[in-house]
Amino acid sequence: MSNLLSVKNLTMKFGGLTAIDDLSFDAKNNQITSIIGPNGAGKTTVFNCLTGFYKPTNGQMFLHKEDSKISLRKYTDFKIAYVAKVARTFQNIRLFPAMSVLENLLVAQHNELMVASGYSLFGLLNLKTYRDKEQLAVDKAKYWLDIIGLTHRADDNAGDLPYGDQRKLEIVRAMCIEPRLLCLDEPAAGLNPKESAELNKLLKFIKTEKQTGILLIEHDMSVVMGISDHVVVLNYGKKIFEGTADQTKNSKEVIEAYLGVDE
Amino acid sequence: MEKKDIIQSFKDSLFTGLIALALFGPIVGLKTVSKGEGLFITPQWGVVFLLVGLCILGRFLININSARRTEFKIFSTLSSKFSSITEDKAKHFAITGILFAVAFPFLPFTDRYFMDVAIMILTYIMLGWGLNIVVGLAGLLDLGYVAFYAVGAYSYALIATTFGWSFWICLPLAGLFAAFFGILLGFPVLRLRGDYLAIVTLGFGEIIRIILINWYEVTNGPDGITGIPRPSFFGLPFKRSPDEGETSFHLFFNLEYSTMHRIIFLYYLILVLALITNYFTLKIRKLPVGRAWEALREDEIACKSLGVNPTNTKLTAFAIGAMFGGFAGSFFATRQAFISPESFTFIESAIIVAIVVLGGMGSQTGVVLASIFLIGITEMFRDLEQYRMIAFGGAMVLIMVFKPKGILANRKPTILMHEDKK
Repeated sequence: MSNLLSVKNLTMKFGGLTAIDDLSFDAKNNQITSIIGPNGAGKTTVFNCLTGFYKPTNGQMFLHKEDSKISLRKYTDFKIAYVAKVARTFQNIRLFPAMSVLENLLVAQHNELMVASGYSLFGLLNLKTYRDKEQLAVDKAKYWLDIIGLTHRADDNAGDLPYGDQRKLEIVRAMCIEPRLLCLDEPAAGLNPKESAELNKLLKFIKTEKQTGILLIEHDMSVVMGISDHVVVLNYGKKIFEGTADQTKNSKEVIEAYLGVDE
Repeated sequence: MEKKDIIQSFKDSLFTGLIALALFGPIVGLKTVSKGEGLFITPQWGVVFLLVGLCILGRFLININSARRTEFKIFSTLSSKFSSITEDKAKHFAITGILFAVAFPFLPFTDRYFMDVAIMILTYIMLGWGLNIVVGLAGLLDLGYVAFYAVGAYSYALIATTFGWSFWICLPLAGLFAAFFGILLGFPVLRLRGDYLAIVTLGFGEIIRIILINWYEVTNGPDGITGIPRPSFFGLPFKRSPDEGETSFHLFFNLEYSTMHRIIFLYYLILVLALITNYFTLKIRKLPVGRAWEALREDEIACKSLGVNPTNTKLTAFAIGAMFGGFAGSFFATRQAFISPESFTFIESAIIVAIVVLGGMGSQTGVVLASIFLIGITEMFRDLEQYRMIAFGGAMVLIMVFKPKGILANRKPTILMHEDKK
């Protein structure tokens, strides 16, 4: 299977603190790659570097596209999602709470709709070309809402949804930008076992049906071990282990990092 | 009710009385009177005791009321009246409102004074609708909105007096100038949010005013610009005796000359301008850019993660909001025929922001209600002279007590998936 993302010698320093230290790993197409590690290991910092929120001190990140590759360092801010098609979700849910569920999903398709509306001109004139495009966007939103079973709540405010549904909505909202790489920051945090199982199903669906690579930060081991194809373990910003879920479970280094070493 | 409660509320109301005494004592109690040589102080303790007594009594009644956990009828009816105003009813309100506004100049009780107040209210409604794009939709608290109003008024005045172009050419130009200044303000404040943004926009409003005062060669400084051309009715001026080779409005339509013609025309002009603003805002809110504004208000970081360009989105909000401010400014200039920096002080910005916030952020009908309420009440109490600002403050307090999120706070989604459900 081909590489989707390769991170090479990534280093991120905040003043004297080295949050990520010379990290290299690869993520493959149509695979779920999990990044795990104790609190403060630098997992979210890796995400923030990948998605343009931080500019890494050193190192390269490449996203592979058929034969060519693009460097994520070149893109910052909103261009990561717009040009490089890397989508992410957040540890603390960041929906648009006062907007309806459907509107949340339409904002994710903003750039296509903006072009379709002729930068608002066709839209103001209410041309048919725009209305058709908008209908397509609504259909896409409906497709995803059907998958997570929230179609009946499409017109309710996103902030009024139960916590578990908000998590799922944030994931499908990220999917609406048709990403090549989806970065999920602790999607199972605060979910009950039933909701976690549903989340596993959703992620597997995205992986197999949508051909999207998934990068996952997670503490919930039932999620990590259940769906990961590949696991990267971080501790104090360094990679201490890399392998399949089963290998990780039995790795001495990983157990030591989590539980400490006998005196 | 227990005896303990009564004693407690009595103590509390006495304390309220103390505060009232401390406030009213110097403010009302000591009246300065100028007699011959100089100023003398005349105490008027009677009024003070009356006011303090009223405060004690009022507080006592409120205390007893809350202790009984029942409400005075007047509170509950007022409260339910306020909360029964919803967006659904707002639609009927909008239609009747527009019909009323169109018929207003021809109603029997309408006189010159009413027309002037109505024009003023409509100007504030238009400004409120313009600012609603920036504050209500995009969530960027702009305390210097009057700057764009000023830019619009001055661009109109300067273009019209220098080149002698007609109102309908100067109006869009003034709007464009204001939009340009909107972008100019937008760039430095892109990274700011909340309080910081408010402070910078406040400063921007003052900068524009100070430039207007000091740039004497262009703006004529504090003396202002006089002789701004009045608008004409599609080329027909509103003059008693038109220049040679010209026909004036009343001659063309064979009417008795009346100054009211011009007032009525101005009224319809601002009504149409305001309705255009409203229509535009309602339309653009349902377009991708409008949704992006609201998304930006909700969460800027999430917007970035979805590929929404925050820079462009904010700048369009500033530019479009400023453009409508500029239109309103042009109207102001042509109505007054004279403008000076005095008209564009911070209090104007504050009133417009108050209208938007009290109306309910982002609600178009709310802006109308708040404008009528705030401007109307200050006008109604004009006879009370210096006390009319108390009425203004009182109106604000009333809205904040009964409708803390604004008169019309509920937002309607811009697009529905299940049409019939709602």
